[in-house]
Amino acid sequence: MKAKKLAALALGLGTACMTVAGLGMAASAEEGKKEVVIWDYFETDAQKQMMQTLIDGFNESQDEFTASHTYVPFADYEKQLTLGIASGQLPDLVILDGCGMASFIQLGLFGDISDADINWDEYIAGPLESTMMDGKHYGIPFATNCTALYYNKDLFDAAGVAYPDENTTWDDFREMAKALTKDGVFGFGNAATNTDEGTFQCLQWLYTAGGSYTDIESGVDAYTLMQEMIEEGSWTKECVNWTQSDVNNNFMAGNIAMQQNGPWQIPGIEANAPDLNYGVTVLPKRNADAGQATSILGGENMGVVNKEDMSGAKAFLQYYDQTDVMVEAMKLYGSYPPKTEAAKDSYWTDDPIQKAFLTQIETSIPRGPSALWPSYSSAIQTGFQEVMTSAKTPEQAAADTQAAVDAIG
Amino acid sequence: MAERHTRYAYKEGHAMKRKRKLAGGAKMGFLFALPAAVYMLVFIGYPMIQNLILSFKNVDVFSFAQPQNQKFIGFQNYIELFTSSNSILTKSIINTLIFTVGSIFFQFIIGFGLALLFNKKFPGCSFFRGMTMISWLLPVTVAGLLFKFMFASSGGIINQFLMALNLIDAPMEWLLKPGTAMVAIVIANIWIGIPFNMMLLITGLTTIPADIYESCSLDGANKVQTLFKITIPMIKPAIMSVLTLGFVYTFKVFDLVWVMTKGGPINSTELVSTYAYRLSFEEFQFSKGAAAANVLFLILLVVGIFYIKLINEEEESM
Amino acid sequence: MGKKEKRSNLISFIFGAIVFIIFIFPLYWMVVTSLKTQVEIFEIPTPLWPRNLTLEAFKAQLSASSDTLRGFKNSAIIAIGATLISTVLAIPASYGLARFRFKAKKALILFFLITQMLPSTLVLTSLYIMFSKVGILNTYLAPILADATLGIPFSIIILRTYFLSIPKELDEAAAIDGCSYWKSFFMIMLPIAKPGVIVAAVFSFVYAWGDLIYGITFITDPNMRPITSSIYNYVQQYQTLWNSTMAFGIIAISPVVLIFIFMQKYIVSGLTNGAVKA
Repeated sequence: MKAKKLAALALGLGTACMTVAGLGMAASAEEGKKEVVIWDYFETDAQKQMMQTLIDGFNESQDEFTASHTYVPFADYEKQLTLGIASGQLPDLVILDGCGMASFIQLGLFGDISDADINWDEYIAGPLESTMMDGKHYGIPFATNCTALYYNKDLFDAAGVAYPDENTTWDDFREMAKALTKDGVFGFGNAATNTDEGTFQCLQWLYTAGGSYTDIESGVDAYTLMQEMIEEGSWTKECVNWTQSDVNNNFMAGNIAMQQNGPWQIPGIEANAPDLNYGVTVLPKRNADAGQATSILGGENMGVVNKEDMSGAKAFLQYYDQTDVMVEAMKLYGSYPPKTEAAKDSYWTDDPIQKAFLTQIETSIPRGPSALWPSYSSAIQTGFQEVMTSAKTPEQAAADTQAAVDAIG
Repeated sequence: MAERHTRYAYKEGHAMKRKRKLAGGAKMGFLFALPAAVYMLVFIGYPMIQNLILSFKNVDVFSFAQPQNQKFIGFQNYIELFTSSNSILTKSIINTLIFTVGSIFFQFIIGFGLALLFNKKFPGCSFFRGMTMISWLLPVTVAGLLFKFMFASSGGIINQFLMALNLIDAPMEWLLKPGTAMVAIVIANIWIGIPFNMMLLITGLTTIPADIYESCSLDGANKVQTLFKITIPMIKPAIMSVLTLGFVYTFKVFDLVWVMTKGGPINSTELVSTYAYRLSFEEFQFSKGAAAANVLFLILLVVGIFYIKLINEEEESM
Repeated sequence: MGKKEKRSNLISFIFGAIVFIIFIFPLYWMVVTSLKTQVEIFEIPTPLWPRNLTLEAFKAQLSASSDTLRGFKNSAIIAIGATLISTVLAIPASYGLARFRFKAKKALILFFLITQMLPSTLVLTSLYIMFSKVGILNTYLAPILADATLGIPFSIIILRTYFLSIPKELDEAAAIDGCSYWKSFFMIMLPIAKPGVIVAAVFSFVYAWGDLIYGITFITDPNMRPITSSIYNYVQQYQTLWNSTMAFGIIAISPVVLIFIFMQKYIVSGLTNGAVKA
């Protein structure tokens, strides 16, 4: 008797679930038009608005395709992509972090679109490189940015120190930071957490010192600078656990006088600390004769998922390839268009803060690109952390990290 | 009393019937347990087998897209995980053991203490008991973030308190230094696990009839003696379940550590679970990740077998 | 005698109160942080009580009340579904494993224990592929089925010890009265075990409600996601909004806390009466 009741209940539950599922899966494509689904991890209102504007614009500009986008949280993004490859549950276009693209090209996520009608030469070399492998194109860069040096003008004035600028060398920088470290304020802070976000920031110092992601030992001066500044107390040790947002929060609160961060923090500063009197300049160069410091390119690429019919995705890329569309979208986003000429739009070049970032981008390089980038990132960041916590001497850390990096290739 | 005698008579008389029933009973027991067993076999057993197979292959970022390049390589992944200089498996196993033993030790003691306390029925005890449960209702990710926030070197309330009490001069860098990071995650895990221990131990404590305590104090036994000679032995099954389940659950903790330290700084809080996740989903070394997960599983299997042996003995004596 | 007892009770009470306060402090801190502004949170030293008490964090989440309510609805569907499956499957299983002797018993208990030994992150891929083949991704059924795997083994192990402590005389009395196994199970065992069943159901519900990873991996449609997934609104790519995160934590557990308070009577009676020897 009761068994029957239970069975009925189970059946009822099953049916209910199926119904709900059916409702949930109601098709949204308009009749006749082909769907183009885009995945992204954009979470701020500004970014979401940008995507919606792009999508609406695309849909209105032609009759063949209807685009839509799905938000997948950043923390889960690459896992979801991997699962998608394993099961075939994939969208048509994926917007993802530039440095991760090489791995996913290798994993077979993206399709070869070298024959698409895109103005490849208009793109900045670094970002474009990250969308390619073995000479073939798998997408286009979507947005580009990099980190630069923010400084708190009020704290500088109070300490009687001149602002940093494009002539500031590592030695000048060190002096400045020392002079500003007092009364609970640290001279400088950046993000050195043990994720790729930390590598994104710290790698800049390695390259400016003359190293690269495969040649660590040539950049050992970066380790020395970090360890010595931390031991002097002017580079805050907390960096080891800070994300870029933690750094910015501390900058806004006046706990650090200088920070290494990107242009995406600007809306947050305007919202939470509108009275903050700050400036931005390029990162300090190695010494007086050296060229501008290298920074690391961040930003997203848009990749075309490997399918039988990639025409919808290509059409969307072609829509975005139009410079005016790209520029408008980047204004909304708070990042920069990855095209050499488009980045010179007066909207940015007239604002001294934005201009500083654009100047920095000129000497910025992508991470890798390599399909094994995550392993490199992990090994390199461990080295930085060991140096910053004084667990090893700079020379020892450089040697060990070099060994770890060699073992990856 | 008379009832008892009658029952005995019945028992004798129905011995035959009982024997038959017992024979049928064995099958019944199995049938009762079958649906749950099938369910778990499908949804957990099958993935576990797939995981095992994956760990014997060479699937990584290069061979993922080309099934023809995926071959069986036997135990190579396991060997590399244990011997390669790049691998931190051994370290992660040690970390996990430290984490687990440290957590369980304090969770159990504090949980037990609270269980004893709340067993006493003073005014308001059910309110307090209820409040203690709330920490368990909190999603682990939120609890992890809460503790990450509290342990922050600057702006963290724990440092603020320690300095206000003059126990330390400068803020401690809890999550930044290898040693203290482990302490921090253990403390967070203890906090999360106390209600679980407490609840299960209260269940056990309530099986002890109140008159036993009375006769103890009449005999002149003090509190400590009562505790160790009477209370603990009487709730041994509950204690064993709590410790075993606690060990298994704590050993595979992932969310908490991931949210607080992601296994850093410098791998000092890297557990086997976080290492396996990183290998699979961040470095795309799927086979190695599966192998690491299986190592975790094997260690727990040993614990599980141990538990079964213990229950066996206990049940024989029932 | 009375005085001594009273004094020892008082000492226990005070000691317990201290432990309790230390223990409850993080929750207090969570509430306080949710009422502060972002800038105040990062001040050094940070105030113990918000100077500018602000309900901003709550306002934002509650004003998007349709989203929050939808999140609750989804969590409820998933949690109830998972609880139903786990209770329906776990009760007979734990009964069978407690009251009968059969050859496979040890192996089965070990099996159920084993199924809890892999972290969910690693079972994820296989389940994902399985669900995608059957076509139930982006439906409630996927996380329901997955969350039930959290509740079943735990419920079995707990209920088993529970059933073990119910006196055997009851079984035998029922058998003598001519009850079949089914009848004896439903008519006699279940009602006595009701409090234990409730405890197991509550555990399953809480685990399913608090689950993040299954809900977020199997469902990409934002309208169907459980409330736990909203944490990503505040733990973002570039920053963690602490006050919102704490406010979220409070909001996310409020239904469960309410259920808990309401069910405390049953849970307590389940815990206390549960295994009293007749």
